[in-house]
Amino acid sequence: MKWRKLGKIFDPTDYRLPNDCMEFAQSPQTLVFDDFVRIYFSTRAVDKKNGKYLSHIAFVDMTKDFRDVMRVSEDAVIPLGKLGCFDEHGIFPMNVLKHDGGIYAYTCGWNRRVSVSVDTAIGLAISHDDGATFERLGDGPVLAASPHEPCLVGDGFVKVIGETFHMWYIFGTGWKKFSPDAAPDRTYKIGHAVSCDGIEWVKEEALQIIPDRLGSEESQALPTVIEINGRYHMFFCYRQSFDFRQNTGRGYRVGHACSDDLVNWERNDDDPLLDVTAGDWDSDMLCYPHVFECDEKVYLLYNGNEFGRYGFGLAVLEH
Amino acid sequence: MSDFKWKKLGKVFTPQEVQGRAWLKEFAQAPATLIFDDFVRVYFSCRPPADEQGQFVSYSAYVDLDRRDLFNVLRVSESPILSLGGYGEFDEFGTYPVSVIRDGDQVRAYYAGWTRCESVPFNVAIGMATSQDQGRSFQKFGNGPVVPYSLDEPFVLSGPKVRRFNGIWYLWYIAGRKWKMVEGRAEPVYKIRMASSSDGIHWIKMNKDLIESRIEEDEAQASPDVFYANGKYHMFFCYRYSSHYRGKENGYRIGYASSTNLVDWVRDDGKAGIDISAEGWDAEMISYPHVFELDGKIYLAYLGNQVGRSGFGLAVLDGELG
Repeated sequence: MKWRKLGKIFDPTDYRLPNDCMEFAQSPQTLVFDDFVRIYFSTRAVDKKNGKYLSHIAFVDMTKDFRDVMRVSEDAVIPLGKLGCFDEHGIFPMNVLKHDGGIYAYTCGWNRRVSVSVDTAIGLAISHDDGATFERLGDGPVLAASPHEPCLVGDGFVKVIGETFHMWYIFGTGWKKFSPDAAPDRTYKIGHAVSCDGIEWVKEEALQIIPDRLGSEESQALPTVIEINGRYHMFFCYRQSFDFRQNTGRGYRVGHACSDDLVNWERNDDDPLLDVTAGDWDSDMLCYPHVFECDEKVYLLYNGNEFGRYGFGLAVLEH
Repeated sequence: MSDFKWKKLGKVFTPQEVQGRAWLKEFAQAPATLIFDDFVRVYFSCRPPADEQGQFVSYSAYVDLDRRDLFNVLRVSESPILSLGGYGEFDEFGTYPVSVIRDGDQVRAYYAGWTRCESVPFNVAIGMATSQDQGRSFQKFGNGPVVPYSLDEPFVLSGPKVRRFNGIWYLWYIAGRKWKMVEGRAEPVYKIRMASSSDGIHWIKMNKDLIESRIEEDEAQASPDVFYANGKYHMFFCYRYSSHYRGKENGYRIGYASSTNLVDWVRDDGKAGIDISAEGWDAEMISYPHVFELDGKIYLAYLGNQVGRSGFGLAVLDGELG
């Protein structure tokens, strides 16, 4: 299998975005309709209180050949959380799936901390208007820190297989100062939880399901899973846990693993490999993959340099 | 049922009198007892001096009281019973309060861990730890909380009180309902909740407010202390107004409720039988009740002014339990 890159397909700076968002279209995630594909992404506004970022969800509807933008959401898709709630300062990413006549959205909510920059947890919101707007099931999360997953539970990706909801997500193993003057950096790994209703989840609790390639200080994020010819394939991104923002050799790349039983995952980043392209929009970094099927083709949406500040691109799988 | 009648015995423990412990300068909050043959171990939460920004951390420790004379302090723990959490962990800035229970040869502690947030001053979640040395020191079960935030309990899970009835573990605790802005300051509103478990690790939340609010909709309720006597369950707790609660007018008072099935509770604060004193260490507020039985008597440990800044006291039940 092989990825053929189709290039960058959406640049947020070309459009007027809701919530006064200016840049970033991170972690694109799709909902495929009959005659268009709705792509949700996280974009950013500046918090007037302190100049920090707030992440908001927006979407773009594209033609099914991904050449044309039909519309960009004009209004808030989901408001940020209330004062003191887990999703008060941002939702990034949001994973959507059709279920039971509605659309379920698993949100990764961000809230700022004092000794470390942030904590996250996973919430659930449901849409009854084809994904134009979503309403939370509650002010709190459906998946959060637990005894052996002490922080940073996020990046949920949900798939219903048979009668069971499966969620792949990330959990923080801890924060650490890698040098005395540095702010603490985090490390996170990919885990798995199951549910019979999509609301009450049972975690495997701190069981890392994808082996490290870069050692114990590899951070793994944004798992996305698809079945191809009877095998399950997971794509995700991974990087070093510190000095990853500027140092291109330590930044995000896209990894891959496959499984026949949803229990044991074999990591093989090189087949199919998505690599950086020198001189292009994704020359330094590849991150936040989302795999999906549309008109019998398998596609991968992903972000490039600067964590998606200038948009996302697409690749198609060739056999 | 007749009203309870408590006879106040006075303040038992004054943290300011303890010397040589940098982590214990003032406060002795949320007393919780573990009874030994010769002494009663009372766990409490205390604080070292505030840092340059005026911020406190909170530790939990214990004082051993002579079983024959509870006003005779035998010893104070040499160090806190729990360490603070690491960067970004739920209990990085405090372990307060703590509730203990014997489990075979071990002692288990359920405690509230404090972290600091940007938009609101703090968040709290409930952790668990075990002791192999009769409650002198505890090892955490994990670096994360054992009762997580959830859809209907979004923040400030605190004030755990663990009990076991009929082989089932019960946890009474509080869950934040909202942060209310009062004169530019975010003040937490919380309600009494409950969870049950077969092992004390995996908890099933009831997702219900147990005690109806009485003084105002945003009444904050804390310290749900439950015991069983004479065919029913009794709960003493404390409550306060949502704003300007740091003084006498709107500060904590002690309330009471009872239940026959642990699920449905009838509040009747008129039966509580204890109020602030006309003067002295508990003249402005009374809070964090803890009821325990010892040698045929029923005692109530509680906090006075400034939520236990200068220690906790005792009252003894005059007459029978209702």
